[in-house]
Amino acid sequence: MREKCKPVRLTLCRGDFLAVCLVLMAAAALIAGWSMGSGGKAASVQIWQDGIWKGEYDLMQDQEIQISGSYQNTVKIQNGRAAIIDSNCPGQDCVKSGWHEDARQSIVCLPNRLELRLVGTEGEPQVDGVTR
Amino acid sequence: MKRTATLILLLVLLCGCTAAPAKSNDTGLNRYEATFLTLFDTVTTIVGYAETEEAFTDTAQAFHDELLEYHQLYDIYNEYEGINNIKTINDHGWEHPIKVDQRIIDLLLFSKELYTQTEGRVNIAMGSVLRLWHDARETGIADPSRAALPDQAALEQAAAHTDIDSIQIDVEESTVFLSDPEVKLDVGAIAKGYAVEQVCRNTPSGLLISVGGNVCPTGPKPESGQPWVVGIQDPEDPEQYLHTIYVEDVSVVTSGDYQRYFTVDGVPYHHIIDPDTNYPAGYWRSVTILCRDSGVADALSTALFTLPQEEGQALLDAFQAEAMWVRQDGTILYSPGFQAYIRI
Repeated sequence: MREKCKPVRLTLCRGDFLAVCLVLMAAAALIAGWSMGSGGKAASVQIWQDGIWKGEYDLMQDQEIQISGSYQNTVKIQNGRAAIIDSNCPGQDCVKSGWHEDARQSIVCLPNRLELRLVGTEGEPQVDGVTR
Repeated sequence: MKRTATLILLLVLLCGCTAAPAKSNDTGLNRYEATFLTLFDTVTTIVGYAETEEAFTDTAQAFHDELLEYHQLYDIYNEYEGINNIKTINDHGWEHPIKVDQRIIDLLLFSKELYTQTEGRVNIAMGSVLRLWHDARETGIADPSRAALPDQAALEQAAAHTDIDSIQIDVEESTVFLSDPEVKLDVGAIAKGYAVEQVCRNTPSGLLISVGGNVCPTGPKPESGQPWVVGIQDPEDPEQYLHTIYVEDVSVVTSGDYQRYFTVDGVPYHHIIDPDTNYPAGYWRSVTILCRDSGVADALSTALFTLPQEEGQALLDAFQAEAMWVRQDGTILYSPGFQAYIRI
C-alpha cells in the first residue's frame, strides 16, 4: 500500500501547491481590482430638502440646478464634481464649502434646509466623519 | 474529483474573504447613514452598520429624539411650550428661582467644574459679552455694509457681569437663580459636546456620530472591529484634510476661527472670545482635541483656543487629552500623544 501511495501523494501535493498558488494569485488580483474600484469617487448627487427627496443627478452630466425655498441656491455639476456656486442665504457657508467629488460627502445649506448627498460607488469611503 | 472539489472550495472561500471588507457580507451588516438638520443649529450625521435599513433608522431616530430634548433644554435663543430652558433662566432667573429639568442642573454643575479646572477660560456666565458679539456678527453677515464691532463701552459694561458664582443652583429643589440680573448664560462652548456625550452613552455601540463636526464614536466599526477614520478639515481649504485620524473610543472636537465670523473693514472677527480681552482670541487658527468625554473635549477646544501652547498642554495633562494646534501661518503643533492617532 505504502509503495503505491507515495507517488500519488507527491503528485497531489505538487498539484495542490500549484493550484493554491493560482488561487492566491487570482485572489490577489480580485483584491486589487476591488480596492481600485472603491476609490471613493461619487457617481451622482442626491438632493434632499427638509428631509424630502428632490431628485438625483449624474455627476458626469454638467448642469446647473436651481433650488428654491426660504432661500435660493444654485447647484452646479461639472467634471464629476458638485458645488453650491451661488446662494442668497446669510453666511454663505454652503458656497464656501466648495467643490466635492467623493462618495458619502455632503454639501449642506442649513438656512435652506438643503442637503446634497454624493453617492454611487461601492466600498468603504476614505473618511467616515469630519471635524471642522 | 476530490482535488477539483478541494480547489472549488478553496476558490469560494478566498473569494468570500475578498468580498467581505467591501460589502460586509460575512457579518450580514450593511452600512447606513442618516442626516438631521434640526439639532443645535448644525448638521448631524450618524453612520452605522445594521442588518436592515429599518433597524438602523430606528437607532438613528432614537438618537435624534433624545438629542432634540437636550437641544431644547439648552437653547438660549428660543422658547418651547411647557419647557423651562436656559433662555427662561436668562429672561426670568434674576426675578425668582426657576425650576428646571435635571439635565440643566447637571450641565450647569459640569460647566462650573470646568470653569474651575480651566481657571475661567470656559465661562458660561459670559452671556452678556457673547450676546454683543453674536448680535454684531448676525448684523454683519446679513448686511456686510452695516458690519460694525460691538461698542467698547458696552463690552466693558457687559464684562463686569460675568461672575459664575452669580449662577446659584439648588440641587435639592432643582432650581436656578441669577443673583446678578445683568449676568446671562451662554452654554455654546460646552452644551453641544456635553449633550452628545450623554446621548452617546445610551446609544448602541458601533456608531460614528457627528454633530456639527463634534465627532463621537460609540466603539469601533462593528463589521470589522476597525477604528473609524475622521478627517480634520484644513482651515485654509474646506475641501482638504490636514490629517485623517483613527478613532474608536475618543471624541474629536475642533474650534476654529473659520467656523463663524464676520468682517469689518476687511478684518475677520471670529466667535471664540478671550475672557481676558473680550475680543476674539488670536493665538491659533484652529485647535483639535481628542478626549474620551465629548463634553470635556468641547470645553477644552474652546479653552485651548484662548491659551498659549504651554498652558494648553497643562490642561491636556490634567484631562488626559491630546491636541493639535494650527498656527496663523499654517504650521502645526502636536501634543506628545496625538501622533499615535494619525493615519495620514
